[in-house]
Parts: sequence; structure tokens; C-alpha cells
Amino acid sequence: MYQYDSLDRDILADRSAEFRDQVARRLSGEITEEHFKPVRLMNGLYLQLHAYMLRVAIPYGSMNAKQLHKLADIGRRYDKGYGHFTTRTNLQFHWIKLADTPDILDELASIDMHAIQTSGNCIRNVTADPYAGATADEIDDPRVWSEAIRQWSSLHPEFSFLPRKFKIAITASAKDRTVAKAHDIGLMVRRARDGTLGFEVIVGGGMGRTPFIGPTIREFLPAHRLFSYLEAILRVYNRHGRRDNIYKARIKILVSALGREAFAREVEEEWSKVGEAGDLPDTEIARIRGAFSRKAFETLPAQSEVYDAAVSADPGFARFARNNLKPHKRQGYTIVEISLKGIGETPGDATSDQMDVVADLAERFGQDDVRVTHEQNLVLPHVKLDDAPEVYRALAAAGLGTPNINLISDIIACPGLDYCALANARAIIVAQDIARRFADQDRAEQVGELKIKISGCINACGHHHVGHIGILGVDKKGEEFYQLTLGGSGAEDAAIGKILGPALPLDRVTDAIDTLVDVYLRERQGDERFLDTYRRTGDAPFKEAVYAETH
Amino acid sequence: MKALTANRLSDGEVVFWKAGTWVERFAEAELFSVDEPAILAEGQAKSQPTVVVDAYLIDLIESEGLWAPVSYRERIRALGPTNHMHHGKQAEGGDAILALQHAHGAARSSGRVNLIKRK
Repeated sequence: MYQYDSLDRDILADRSAEFRDQVARRLSGEITEEHFKPVRLMNGLYLQLHAYMLRVAIPYGSMNAKQLHKLADIGRRYDKGYGHFTTRTNLQFHWIKLADTPDILDELASIDMHAIQTSGNCIRNVTADPYAGATADEIDDPRVWSEAIRQWSSLHPEFSFLPRKFKIAITASAKDRTVAKAHDIGLMVRRARDGTLGFEVIVGGGMGRTPFIGPTIREFLPAHRLFSYLEAILRVYNRHGRRDNIYKARIKILVSALGREAFAREVEEEWSKVGEAGDLPDTEIARIRGAFSRKAFETLPAQSEVYDAAVSADPGFARFARNNLKPHKRQGYTIVEISLKGIGETPGDATSDQMDVVADLAERFGQDDVRVTHEQNLVLPHVKLDDAPEVYRALAAAGLGTPNINLISDIIACPGLDYCALANARAIIVAQDIARRFADQDRAEQVGELKIKISGCINACGHHHVGHIGILGVDKKGEEFYQLTLGGSGAEDAAIGKILGPALPLDRVTDAIDTLVDVYLRERQGDERFLDTYRRTGDAPFKEAVYAETH
Repeated sequence: MKALTANRLSDGEVVFWKAGTWVERFAEAELFSVDEPAILAEGQAKSQPTVVVDAYLIDLIESEGLWAPVSYRERIRALGPTNHMHHGKQAEGGDAILALQHAHGAARSSGRVNLIKRK
């Protein structure tokens, strides 16, 4: 992975010292909350319902064992012994004291991490494929470009006060694991017929109160022109994005208002002005690339006797292997997905002890590499098949062996009203209740891939718009109600879900999900996923079943 | 009936006004049956910017013979998150906590008084 240089470390040391002084001045009354709030937000520190929340950036969801051990340590010393992995592949600590924060930022700096640009109207953490460097079907390693964007966008003076926050995703595989089409910019790595590396550029996707699947504004951008083109997009947005209305300030509104063609024309015009001076030299990309190509893979047979024996002998491992192990580009290796969706647990939460277990496994068996997925799970991307049974046993002993990746209980849920000052309703307990209903893993596997995503308010941190089943918490006269949407997708076949009908009270949501699953199993043809069946039948049979009682 | 709440500046802890000081337990909060002293207290709270952040009045309802915040959001603030019952003030247990947990119904979405005027 990328290593910080002395310049990076100096910047973090300066920033941390600056914030220490700002906190001291706030506590002494020298500066007011009005002045301090934007400063703390620029360091990822929010004030939530019960305490301060610190959002730590995990660049493109990638970290090493030492970093994860330190995050565990911070959770233990400054929080309540846990952390919460988010849909932006960051980590949030929910019980932080303001007075402790400067020390925590120093701790983070000691492992080359920080909380800069995890809030505010700037370019946020880039989302990249969590299988980067491990999956066979990728055209290029998206982390190289993610890291280059991280360096380019960090403290970028021109793009630190955009009309609104700005999120970029990069995927290099046919299978999109980043929700690229629902980002401000989605970059899909492509290779031209002549072998040239480049990107399909999608702009203006997003969720929130006005969801859009982003249109493609350029089918093929040569990779070496990426940064001048990004600069052109950001400049057009900075110039024309609305600053008068926070609800209309994201780039998706601008792209929608201008139309794809007109927006693309504006970008092309600006791009011609920026010129090649705005691009990174190939030598710099090569330098960054070097940091990601040091994996020492062994030459192994495709079959592993240890693995095969464990599959035969241990039904628990066999189930884990079916659902949580994914094909690796090198024979004899596998990608291990670690579910943070234990049945009845909080989606995305990991205790400090669990983080330590994962970090130890990454060191012993996983080439010191850990990833965070936008679906709030962790990944060990490079594990030998020979080691997979031992990794599974260690995970299971730590409560991390839940074999439910992509199944109905692998639910995204934002913190919701249990923590978040913006939320209208709780999301976590809805996820917990659904997971308990579908705790029978045989039934969950029979249902197959079904992505449920839950948000506690219209800001859609829980990605409900792109859930096969989306659940949005709303406030109806002070009571928690939940609106169901069907047919969304955050994958390469991205789609915004359609509202099924009137919102349901909390105590009817799990029954409604059960009903939707029953309808799917009744209507399913062949190998159809829930989403496929819904797309074929439309919402009529689902709607009829869920609202039967009220008719 | 009303109470005055805020988050403590130094650690973000949810606190309630009690005769010029701040207490952590809702059960110990000063209750205002008329508006005038409540508004006066809110004004005093706002003059303590190094002690608390964002002081505001909340509406209360009766629950099991005790008072509870009218809105769900405020009850969660007074109790702690419902996904981790051992976190927050709810971990202490007792009748006052039970009364908050059993309270239901809400006349307004936020339970926060003068929310619109404040913005």
C-alpha cells in the first residue's frame, strides 16, 4: 500500500498541533461555537446526540494491520471499546470527548491516518473496489488512481469550499462493488481497442433527497489526462453549482438542470483551457503504482487439500466458503469477506478485540492488507486456500464468522436516530430485527442475493435508494414510520428503487420484508435473484401482498 | 411541562438544567410548568458558551406518573442508543429510566420548542 513521506507527516503534525490550539481556545472561551464548528468539522469531529463523533478517513478503504490495531486501541482508550465502519469505508467513533480529540489525532498521525476531509464541502474519501489487486477481472489496480486522487484532492485550495460535498468512486472490474453510478463522479476503468488505459466518466449520480443514476459524460478518457479532466469538472461545478440552496447544491442537480450534453460541453470547454498542465506526470503515477505492486504471491496449485478436507469435514466452514470466500486472481489464493453483520448485531460495528483479531489475521495470513467495503464489511484480500480454514476458525471464535455476504441479513444500516443528529428514525434496530427473522442460514441461502439497505433519513447514508429492498425511516407526527422501495441496485446494473406504497409503522416492517420474500420465492423463475424477479414482474404482486391487510 | 437540555462542551454529554447548574440525569432535571422561568433559564444557559453547546427547551409528557420528553429523539438522548442498552444513561436502570423507556406518543416531531424561530 502507499507509504507516507516526510511531507505527508509534516502536514499531519502541523494540522494536529493547530487543532490542539483551536480546541484549547474553544474550551477557554476565546473562540465561539459558531467559529469553532466549521473548524472541528474540517477535522471530522461532529456533535451527535450523545457525544462527539470522530470520522476517521480510511483512504479508499485500505489499511494495514498496524493501522487497524491502532484504531482498535483508540476505540478501547477513547471510546467504548468499538468502532463503526461506514458506507464511505471510513470508521466512526461515536463516544468521543472534545478534550481528548487532539490526542486522538496525534495517535492517528502516528500511523499515517487522519480525519481531514471526512466532513465539509470538499472532496471526500474515494471509494474503490475492495477487491482491488486481488480480483481476476480488473483491468487495472484502482488503488493507484485512488491514491493519486487522494494526494491531488487533499487540502486542494481550489476545491476546499465547493458548493457541497463531493464523492468519487473508482472501479476497474465488470462487477461494480463501489456504487460508482451513484457518486458525484464515477470512474470506470476501460481499455481501448489499441490497449490504451482510460476511464468511462460518469458525473452527477447521487442519493439523498434527489437520487440520480449518473449519466456518462465521456465514454473514454485516456488515463494520463485524468487530472486535467477532473479539474475541469470541478471548476464547472464550482462556477455553476448552486450555493443558495443546500438541497440543490450537489453536482447532480447541476448536471440534471443543464442536461448531460450541455454539462459535458462545458467540461470539454474548460478542459481545453486547463490543458495538459493539469495532468500528473507519468513518472508520478509510476511512483505511486510501485507502492501497490509489492505483493509476493507464491506459485500454488489450484486445489488445496487442506481446504478441501475442511469443506468436507466442517459444515460451518463449507457454508462460510460458499458465501464469504471469493475467487482470487492467483490460483491457490482466495478473497475472504468478513461480515460485520452478526445476526442481531449492529451493522458495521466491530469491537476493538475483533479489530485486533482481523489485524492479526492480516499479518499472519493476509499480506498485511485489510479492506473496508461500502457494505460495511471487512476483507482480507490475499489469503491462501491452505490457510482459509484456520482464518475462518479464528474469525468464528471472535464472532466474525457469520456466513451471510450478499444474503438477506447482510444489511447496510446508517447509525440512524440512535446516534445521528440528522436522523428521523432508527435504522439499526430495523436491521437487527430483519436479520433475526432470517437467522436460519438455510433459508437465507435459499433466498439468495438480496440487498437490504436502510437509512434513518432522506440523506440516505444507508443507501436505501439502491437497495433491492430499500427502507427509509420517516417521522410521521413524532412516530417512526418506514417507507419501502423496491428494485434499486448499487451494482453495474445501477437503479433507483421505486416506492412501494404508504410508509409502515416500525412493528410491521419485518413482516413486510417476510411477505416480499414469500412473493419472490413464489414468483421466482430459474436462478433469478430477488431483483431479477422484481424487474420481470413489476411491483404489482409485491404491493398487493404487503398492503393486502389494509385493502 | 418543559425541561432545558444541551450537550456539554467538553465531552458532548447530554445534560439538563437544574437551578443554574447542569445534571446528567433527566430524572434530576428542573421542570418548568410555566413558560416565563423556562425562557429565562434558556437565556442564562446561552450565556454559558464554555459549559454547554446548543441549549434548548423540550416539551414533556406524563409517563407512569413521571415526566418524559415528548419526542422519541429526546428520549433517546436522555437514555442512550437502543442498539446498545449498556451504553448511555439507560445502563443505570431504575424507575425513572423505565418510565422514559415506556413513554410513547409525541405531539411534534422534534419535541424541541421554538425550533423554526431559532433558525
